[in-house]
Parts: sequence; C-alpha cells; structure tokens
Amino acid sequence: MQRYYSVGSNMAATDETSALLRSFECEQNLLSRPDGSANVRQGDTSVLAAVYGPGEVKMSEEIIDKATLKVIFKPKIGLPGCAEKLQERLLRNTCESVVLAVLHPRSGVNIVLQVIQDSGSLLSCCINAACMALVDSAVPMKCLVSAVTCAVMEEGRIVLDPDSKQEKESSAVLTFAFDSRENNVVTCSTKGCYTPEKYQECLSACGAASRNISSFFRQAVERRMSKEL
Amino acid sequence: MKEVPMSTCEREFILKAIRDRKRIDGRQTYDYRRLKVSFGMERGCCIVDLGDTKVLAQVSGKIEEPKKNRPTEGSIIINLELSPMASPAFEPGRPTESGIEMNRILERNIRDSRAVDTESLCIVAGEKVWSIRADVHVLNDEGNIMDAASIAAITALSHFRRPDVSVMGEEVTVHSPEDRDPVPLSVHHMPVCVTFAFFDQGEFLLVDPNRSEERVMDGRMVVGMNMHREICTLMMSGGMLLVKEQVLRCSQIATVKVAEIIELIQRALDKDAQARQAGEKCGFAESVPTNKITTNRKEATAIDTTAAAQQASQVIQEAGPVDKPMSNMLVQAPGTVQIGEGLVNTWDVDDEDMESEEKEGREKSVTNGREAVATSKPTERKRPVKAGEGTVSHAEGSDSEEEETVMLFQGDDETKSTEEPDSTALMQPSNSDKPAKKKGKKKKAAQK
Amino acid sequence: MAGLEIISDQGYRIDGRRSSELRKVCARMGVFTQADGSAYIEQGNTKALATVYGPHEVRKGRGKIQHDRAVVNCQFSMATFSTGERKSRPKGDRRSQEMSMHLRQTFEAVIVTELFPRSQIDIYVQILQADGGNYCACVNAATLAVIDAGIPMKDYVCACTAGFIQDSPLLDISYVEESAGAPFLTVAMMPKSEQIVLLEMNSRLHADNMEKVLDLATQGCKDVFAVLDRHVRDHVSESHALMTAS
Repeated sequence: MQRYYSVGSNMAATDETSALLRSFECEQNLLSRPDGSANVRQGDTSVLAAVYGPGEVKMSEEIIDKATLKVIFKPKIGLPGCAEKLQERLLRNTCESVVLAVLHPRSGVNIVLQVIQDSGSLLSCCINAACMALVDSAVPMKCLVSAVTCAVMEEGRIVLDPDSKQEKESSAVLTFAFDSRENNVVTCSTKGCYTPEKYQECLSACGAASRNISSFFRQAVERRMSKEL
Repeated sequence: MKEVPMSTCEREFILKAIRDRKRIDGRQTYDYRRLKVSFGMERGCCIVDLGDTKVLAQVSGKIEEPKKNRPTEGSIIINLELSPMASPAFEPGRPTESGIEMNRILERNIRDSRAVDTESLCIVAGEKVWSIRADVHVLNDEGNIMDAASIAAITALSHFRRPDVSVMGEEVTVHSPEDRDPVPLSVHHMPVCVTFAFFDQGEFLLVDPNRSEERVMDGRMVVGMNMHREICTLMMSGGMLLVKEQVLRCSQIATVKVAEIIELIQRALDKDAQARQAGEKCGFAESVPTNKITTNRKEATAIDTTAAAQQASQVIQEAGPVDKPMSNMLVQAPGTVQIGEGLVNTWDVDDEDMESEEKEGREKSVTNGREAVATSKPTERKRPVKAGEGTVSHAEGSDSEEEETVMLFQGDDETKSTEEPDSTALMQPSNSDKPAKKKGKKKKAAQK
Repeated sequence: MAGLEIISDQGYRIDGRRSSELRKVCARMGVFTQADGSAYIEQGNTKALATVYGPHEVRKGRGKIQHDRAVVNCQFSMATFSTGERKSRPKGDRRSQEMSMHLRQTFEAVIVTELFPRSQIDIYVQILQADGGNYCACVNAATLAVIDAGIPMKDYVCACTAGFIQDSPLLDISYVEESAGAPFLTVAMMPKSEQIVLLEMNSRLHADNMEKVLDLATQGCKDVFAVLDRHVRDHVSESHALMTAS
C-alpha cells in the first residue's frame, strides 16, 4: 500500500491528487485511576493521555477566577528535559483555548501524556490524545480540538501525517491544531524553513484533514454514548 | 492533588472480609490478578497489566565510558517512574520515599543479583561499554506496582536487542539492524518479585494486594526470586512484626508463584518471537480489542487536498504583496551586514541626550560584535559632518566596521564622558581591552 | 573474588573469627550533653554515632502531625572520611535516603509512639567508619540513644547480618566479606520475642539455605542484645551511683 500521496503544485510526483492520513485509532477510558484517559494511535505512533480533575490545586498555582491547567509530558526514555517542557507548554496553551476553565475556579486539571511509541507526528498525536482524554473526563470544553502534522519535503511536496522517516527527510514539519466548530487555528508549531505560500498550502491541507479527524472524534463519542451504561 | 482518604467503614469492611478469609475482589488468598504481558513495536518495550495495574517498560542502550573501578563491565540502570498518570498522589519531579524504596528493590533484584551479564556489554575495556537503561513507567496504580514493575523490567530486558558492534583495531563500528542482526542481552536468570501483604500484626497474609488492600495493610514483604528457587532480594519493613516461620512460609509461596509468572513471561516472549519471525505486525495495537464501544477506529483515509494549493495562492494574493525584505543590504566587511536607512530623528528628544545614550548603547554593543553595526550605522548617516572621517576610513577598507564607528565619536565624546561618569562606569568593566585599540585607530585616522 | 579465601581451611575467617562469632562490640551511652539521648557504638571497625531529640512538637511541615501517635524522623549520614575513598556526598543520595527510611520504619515499629500523639522524635545517625554492617551499627546505636533519651520501646531492637559464603553461614559480615559478592541477610529484631522488624537480603541465596542463615542472624541479634543490655545496665548503675554520691 502506498503510504502517502503528494499535494499541491508538484503534482508530477504522483498522479494522485489527495493525501493520506494513517489509520487512526482511539480507545477511551482504559485506565481506572484517572478521571479520563485515552490512547490515540496514528499509524504506529501511540500516545496515552490521562486527565485528573477538576480537583484540588496547590496554593501557589491557584488562579482565583479559573481552573489551573497543568500538562505533564513523559518521554519514553530518560528523564524529561527542556524539550519536554516546551512540548508541555504548547499542549497547555492548546488545551487552555478549548477548556472552559472559568467554570471551575480555584481548582486544577492535570493532563498527563505518556509516549508509547513515536513514529512521527508526535505532537499532533499528543494533542488528539489530550482532547480525547478531556472528553472522557467530562471536563467542560468549548469544542474539540484536532491536530494534524504535515511535512514539506525537499522537492516541495506536502505529506500529511508523516512517519518518522518522512519527518527526517523533510525540509520542514508543521503542526496545526484546529477547533472543531469554526475550524479556526488554535495552535501552530513549525520547524524548518518554508515559503509563505507553502505555509498557506499546508494550513489548508491540514485544515481539510482536521475536519476528518473531528468527525472521527464525534463518531467515537457517539459510539460511546450509544449504549446506556 | 491528594489521594481521596479512605473512610473508616470501608477500612473496617475490608479488614473484616480478610479476617473471614475473603477478599473484596473475590480472589483467594494466594491468587494473583490476571497478568498480561504485551510487547511494543520496538525491541525492549513491553506493557504489563496486573489486573488494572498497568506498567510500561522500555529498555535502551548507549555506549559510554566504563566506571574507573570496573573497566570491563557495562552498566545497567533501572529507573522506576511513578508517573502522575498512575495516581493523583504521585507528583512529577523528585521521587518520593516509597518510589526510592521500590527503585532500590528493583535494582537489587535485577542488577545486584547479576541477572544480566554486564561483562558481555564491554566493547573496549576501559574505554567503551554498553550502558543499558530500563525505564519503567507506572501508568495506572491499582496496587502492587512492585510485582508489575519487576515483571515488566525483566521482560523488557529479555526482549531487548542491542545493535551489534564490531571492533577492528582502534575502530568501533555499530552495525545498523539492517546490516547485522541485533544481539540480545545475556540474561542469566529472571528474578521476579512477589509481594505479600500482612494484616493484624502478621496474622493474615495475602498475595498480590490490590490498592484498597494496600491501604489497610500493616506492612508488606517483597520476595524476589528466580526459577532456580534462589532468593534475589528480600525486603520486609513497615511497622509490623513477623516471626521466622512466616518469612519461610512466604518464600515457599513465592517459589510457586514465581514459577507461574516466569512461565507466562516465557510464553509471551516465545509468541512474540514467532510473530516477529513470521513478519506479522506486532505492537500494542494488535493486542487491543477493537470491538468495545470505548474504542473507535478508522482506516487510513485519503484527504482531498486538491484545493489546498489553489486556496493558498488565493490567500496569498488577497493578502497582497508582502513587504519585500530590505534589498539594500550592504556588506561592509566579511561577516557583517547593514540594513536600514538611517532616517532623520523624528523623536522629540534633545540631541545632546541622545548622544550620550547612544554612546553608552554602542559601547556595550561593541562587545557583542556584529550586532553593533546595525545600531551604530544610522547615527553615522545622521550626522554627515562628523561621519566624514569615518566614511573615508572605511572606504579605505578598514578591517572592522564597529571599531571604526566607535572611533568616530571618540574625538568629541571623550570630554563628555568625563562629565558623565555613569556612562563611562558602565562601559569599563565590559571591554577593558578597547581603549588600546581605539587609540591605535585614532592614530591611523590622524595619519590620514 | 578470585584468590581471596574468605574462610581458611581451619575454619577461620580473614579477621580470625569463627563463622558464628560477632566482632567486638564497644558502646557508650550519653556521649553528648545537649541531645536528649546519644550513644556511640563500635562493632569491629564499624563506628556509628546516634543522637535522639524528642519527643517535641512537630517542626517544619505541620501536615505530618499524626493525631494518634508520634512521628519518627530519621536521618542517616556517612562521614566523608568513613570510607576508603573520600565520600563527596555525606547524605542525600539514594542509598542513604533508603537507609534513613529503613531506620524510620524500624523505629516506628518499636517505639511506643501512641504515648506521644501530635509530637515528633528525631533520630540522627552518622557512620564514622564503615566496615560492613552499617545498618546494624546504626540500629544498635540508635537503640541505645533512644534508651538514653528515656523514650519507651516495646523491646530493644537489635540488628545483625548473616551471610552465606562457601556453603556455610557466617555471622556479622565485614566489608571484605560483603564485597565478595556473596548473599547476606540483614535482620533487625526484637530479641526477646524473636519478632523480625526489618529483613533485607542482597544477592542470590537458595531458598533452602534461607532458614540456616536466618537462624544464625537471629542468634547474632540475641548476642548483640546481651552486650547492649549489659552496657545499659552498667550505664544506669553508674549514673545512679553518681547521683546518690552527690
């Protein structure tokens, strides 16, 4: 099976005019301790997310008019360092824009993410897992958030949902997170060099893909609620 | 976040059940919960499910210099991470007392009992050895982390393959997996921990306590044992008193349990090896049932992005042309570049004040090297009269731009700087070697 | 370890002891005047110093207060000059943290903490010279210090190691024997009731030999108890004599 197809201007590379997202799997409520948990697998990349809260928060971290969101990102090997802190920050900002923190003042919501397998598009997988865990924990949210990573290859081709090999070969990797209601950009994280045109192209390609993921999330929730518990 | 405290009646209920020789989850005294070992895609990665307790282990290896006192032995590091995912009581960062204790038990059980041969990890004696690291992450704490972690650690170590290494004279080559098959670690024996919980001052004993049992127990005893009935670690502590007979009984029970567990691990390892040999897809994904309503799956889907390029160009067009980047960049000297126009000062600031401020700023930035150019140049243009000699000198092809501009104002600023001790005081500590250079330049200019 | 004979053909160990013989134990109680209780012990070349403060109100961290009993706070440290190679970190590493925790667990089980609710007892132990059996020396020193402080205990708590080398159990393992890589068991127990308070084992030992080693360790603890008890009695009668004399 061919894994990816090209997008955009360099159509000559393959004849296909569409891009492929890897298989997408999501399992919710698989851990008994956290208030919400989810395992999201995009192809081989797998991230486990757990949410605790809203609950008690440390005095020093308390915010008077809203809940404190804390994201903990756990790498698989070794101790978390600077890169993980940056990742946590990105994820926290993403979640903060969709969680209705004002409904739980003076409390804390902890989101813990554990990398199970990194085979590319890790950041988008983390955001998706965090979103599904938040849904599972029933923390009130404005809307869902879905993230898509794309890679700009050397020759200008855009690959959606790249695996680690493609990420390595690419000249730039861009990750966008969109909200599910208006499809507005919530987060954007990029690495590498690209032209503004390529950026716009990636943005609209990822936007299209994120709608697909959003509908998958919706479907997952519908499926979960299909039976009376 | 703190753990929800246990109510007295729940505590009493559990204790009463135990005194009636019953367990709240319906198990018998010596029963383990359901144990499941599954492997990840990568080598040396496994998840152990013990009931609802879930532990992930990942083994990794890197080449390091050996310790001075053991030049021919590789090292094994075991790190138990009580992830805040497992329980609200676990905080990220510094490990807790119980975390350290469990980590030490794991180390003693696996490393100190020499379960993994460290001498075979040596590549070049005294220079290069393999350092094997096992990270054990607790993902869900429903009691008895210890046993689950020890099973996960030893299973992951047995599953791990390190890249093959060959030594040719001085040269050490690490072969990629495609090049040569990776080699397994030599695991001599597989020690596994069995945890016993004691109640009522050691009168009642349970195997594999779950979380609620752990919370009411008096203390615990951990027995680490291998297939050959060798005790690899023994740890009993925590506010309870036992007599010798109880300890011996525990070691006997452990013998039976360890045999069962190791058989299961072996079976899991064999199955995984077969699957890998046959080239089947392996990984956690394969071991998860997909028919539950909490799971959802979609196959790889194509996304129609034909419009993407079009949309992109449309957006770009709508946005209008982007301000072109400054095209009139001037390269004055190798490694420097100059931008900006140096327009007339529109800020309503007294020129005199500006001058001293600028001087200060410039003097500091000189130490930063190249950046200095951008700040200093505009002023140069602003005062064409003063700049006169400066421009002449760098037209001559002076070696460094920034020193040039520093010199520019030296003539009339020197008197000023004595008037304003602040600015001079600031500059002095940062560039002590500057004055000499400046003087040299000045001479040069004077010659001209 | 090749070439190193732990037991000679005549049945003697490197330091001339027989297999079930303790090293010489010297002890002194009340070595410091400022602390509520203090003691110094020498077991062969292993030297330990223990001080006890309390029971006093709970300091730093009111959250630790227990409403039905006293909290025991232990701190273990090793002098920088205690080992062959100078130690750069006298306390705070994983090993000493573990040791502190084990000491705390031991004394929490033995001190009658119910008598002092909402209070705290501090036990500080330092190893001045390490030559095997550090934990044992610490426990024995701390027991004497706790007795010196007049804090009620259920019983003495005595600790002893026992190893299994060349198919025979050995009592009170020294550093050389410890580093030979053979299994050894550390036991802390209440000698009168033979109840085990803490049990720890390193390296590999066959389950069948367990009983032998444990029996020997038990005997060792009882021997230690005899020595400690004599010291306590001497100390008490001495101080009594001093008091009546004045």
